[in-house]
Amino acid sequence: MTKLPPAVLSRVAKPARYTGQEWGSVTKDHDKVDATFALAFPDVYEVGMSHLGLKILYHVVNRRPDAAAERVYAPWPDMEAELRREGIPLHTLESFRPVAAFDIVGFTLQYELSYTNILNMLDLAGIPLKSADRGEEAPLVIAGGPCAFNAEPLADFIDFFVLGESEEALDDVAAAVAAWKKAGKPGGRRGLLARAAGIGGVYVPAFYEARYNADGTLAGVTATDPAAPPAITKRIVADLEQAPYPTRPVVPFLEVVHDRIMLELFRGCTRGCRFCQAGVLYRPVRERRPETLLRLAQELVDNTGYNEISLTSLSSADYSCLKDVVGRLIDQFQGQGVSVSLPSLRIDSFSIELAQEVQKVRKSGLTFAPEAGTQRLRDVINKGVTEQDLEEAVGAAFRAGWSGVKLYFMIGLPTETDDDIRGIAALAHRVRDIYREVTGKRGARVAVSVSSFVPKPHTPFQWYGQNSMDELERKQQLLRTLFRDRSVTFSWHDARVSFLEAVFARGDRRLGEVLLAAWRRGAKFDGWSEYFKFDVWQEAFRETGVDPLFYAARERGAAEILPWDHLSAGVDKSFLRREYEQALAAAPTPDCRRGDCRACGVCQGLGVDIIDWGTP
Amino acid sequence: MGKKYRLAITKGEEIRYVSHLDYMRAVERAVRRSKLPAAYSEGFNPHMKLAFASALSVGVASEAEYLDIELTAEVDPAAVGGALARELPPGIAVRGVRTMGAGRAALMAVVNLATYRIAVPLPAAALDAAEAAIAAFNAAPAAPYVKESPKGRREIDVKNFVHSIAAARRPGGLELTLAVRITPAGSVKPAEVLAMLVKYFGLSADPDAALVTRTGLFVADGSGRVAPLDL
Repeated sequence: MTKLPPAVLSRVAKPARYTGQEWGSVTKDHDKVDATFALAFPDVYEVGMSHLGLKILYHVVNRRPDAAAERVYAPWPDMEAELRREGIPLHTLESFRPVAAFDIVGFTLQYELSYTNILNMLDLAGIPLKSADRGEEAPLVIAGGPCAFNAEPLADFIDFFVLGESEEALDDVAAAVAAWKKAGKPGGRRGLLARAAGIGGVYVPAFYEARYNADGTLAGVTATDPAAPPAITKRIVADLEQAPYPTRPVVPFLEVVHDRIMLELFRGCTRGCRFCQAGVLYRPVRERRPETLLRLAQELVDNTGYNEISLTSLSSADYSCLKDVVGRLIDQFQGQGVSVSLPSLRIDSFSIELAQEVQKVRKSGLTFAPEAGTQRLRDVINKGVTEQDLEEAVGAAFRAGWSGVKLYFMIGLPTETDDDIRGIAALAHRVRDIYREVTGKRGARVAVSVSSFVPKPHTPFQWYGQNSMDELERKQQLLRTLFRDRSVTFSWHDARVSFLEAVFARGDRRLGEVLLAAWRRGAKFDGWSEYFKFDVWQEAFRETGVDPLFYAARERGAAEILPWDHLSAGVDKSFLRREYEQALAAAPTPDCRRGDCRACGVCQGLGVDIIDWGTP
Repeated sequence: MGKKYRLAITKGEEIRYVSHLDYMRAVERAVRRSKLPAAYSEGFNPHMKLAFASALSVGVASEAEYLDIELTAEVDPAAVGGALARELPPGIAVRGVRTMGAGRAALMAVVNLATYRIAVPLPAAALDAAEAAIAAFNAAPAAPYVKESPKGRREIDVKNFVHSIAAARRPGGLELTLAVRITPAGSVKPAEVLAMLVKYFGLSADPDAALVTRTGLFVADGSGRVAPLDL
């Protein structure tokens, strides 16, 4: 057990990040369990504590009498310096045991630019960075989350990945570790990896070999071990009603990013936006029953003492019984000082009605995501929203008393021209004008936020070559010249960050050396602008002789073997290709959740069904 | 009109590094979990009627925090304490509860003295010099010190707030005890007192390594001290 000296805690910012003891945290006697998990989020406490997935997994492991899960987050650089100077190893927040003393260290992969933090955390833990260098006593380092669907850039560092929803898979992993230890650790570390490879959804990269063609493209990733299946398909929870839900989550002292109850209405989204990776990875739609949600909400309020319930999902407004559930939640909780919030809105007046219901008093601003500035481009990305939808939605919002709206767009989408860029400005100005038409006043506040498109694996745009940084910056500059009105504010993302995201999103195993080189040169917290050091990354690419443009900017051929082809989200590659071709033809594809099956392959392939309580 | 209760609670070692705002929020959540019939303010953004006596700095523990809470129904004080105690996180214990008559002044307004214990780690060889530094402070007619905050620099005389400091030898260092006046014109933090001792009285210690614990909050006048629960 480590002890942080008072002088250390006095010197760092927000020391409560490191002292644990939160309500709901679970500390077990490690001598009385067979499998111990350090669940790691490779970012700072306030970000990691906001993540629903890790709350679920913490609960899944801790409800087993034979297993214990504890938490660890990336120490902020001030604390990292203290730990290194004092020689204190990275440790968990529950028992303050060194992370290296756990059986399993599990990272969640939410964002490509957190990869250097994984290396940094392993180093702080005293765990060899590369799987191949870990001895028998080292923990197994595992990872899951959306970025695991292209595992290759991390293949050198992670002992195994778990693809898809891990509620059941992590249970299987805990059972496998416990059984292996009880049996006297047959086969040692390799024996445990072989057992893990037999669990559905588990990918052991060391059991596969990547080969390349002369032109640098991938020739294939093939199994070299008899325990390894040729391809790995994601795990999925067929019925969320049966899935464990953390109704006793850890309640932090520190104010975290999402400091409220997260009530997950449903999983999956089949609107089919062609840029969206989550829409593919979490297919199909599976809703919880309204009664279940009300029961979970009451338990969560009782156990946490939070005063806000956020209805979370990929697209919460699509929950089939939303109006009913929102009304009943408000009835049930307004006397208890608990409010309800909707984090994401659809662009329609139905959403405004609901927002009105949940924000009766505080009109805290509404966010809409038209994503593209022209109808043509919205058809390309299959964002089924028209200008008229947006006009109606913001009109309703302004009539209801809101004066500020936030609009999200992307630039760098396939087939985009400068007309589409100008369309973003035109749409924002149209929203401003609607405010004047509706209220007769000036003074609308329109905040336009423009990110740069990063093509993601397992999406119809996985073949697309990203716009160059110069091109993205040119488009940002063009937009800046178009926003001259004080009622419209314009913000954009650093193109260099989007570029690096694109490299790692669709990278292969050869990027492992780049990661290592960048980390050695001090890269960490790359997703935080104050720590993002692009020159360090450029040096790392140079040093390793890896061309980042090969990964970010190159249009892949239809027949090319992609680094994630052996990792399946259950959606057929042929479907994604069809969708890419539909995109180039600006042809829409309807949502499949009410019957119009587009044969993406997920339901048939995984033996699951759409669960939608609004289906007549 | 609701019923008012005053509670004495602690901020223990476990949560020493929790900020005052986070501490208050933790108590508020515990009240909500306890299902005590807490009263809320009227208006658009109702908040729980909960008032704390005096803020504690990050890194300072306390054996004597006080809060006033209003409930919408009468509850036996022991039951209030019991219900809350079950829902408080480690590090917060209930030390006493009493009902408050109507018309009592707000805690914040009446508390004017805080007592502290400071554990200062020191090598045995440095104890004599440290005691001499404390004695020099006690003997000094004034002890000017520049407070620095985001709002700016302000010179104060620590002697206006701290009359004297007692020092006792303990294993591993010196234990200081002191009483700090809280006045309408402000006060001084124990960390500032330590920094002043280091800077102006030659105390050779690392203020970051010292552990500060509030031991009492009082309403003091010429005749003595009364704890908020005994008012």
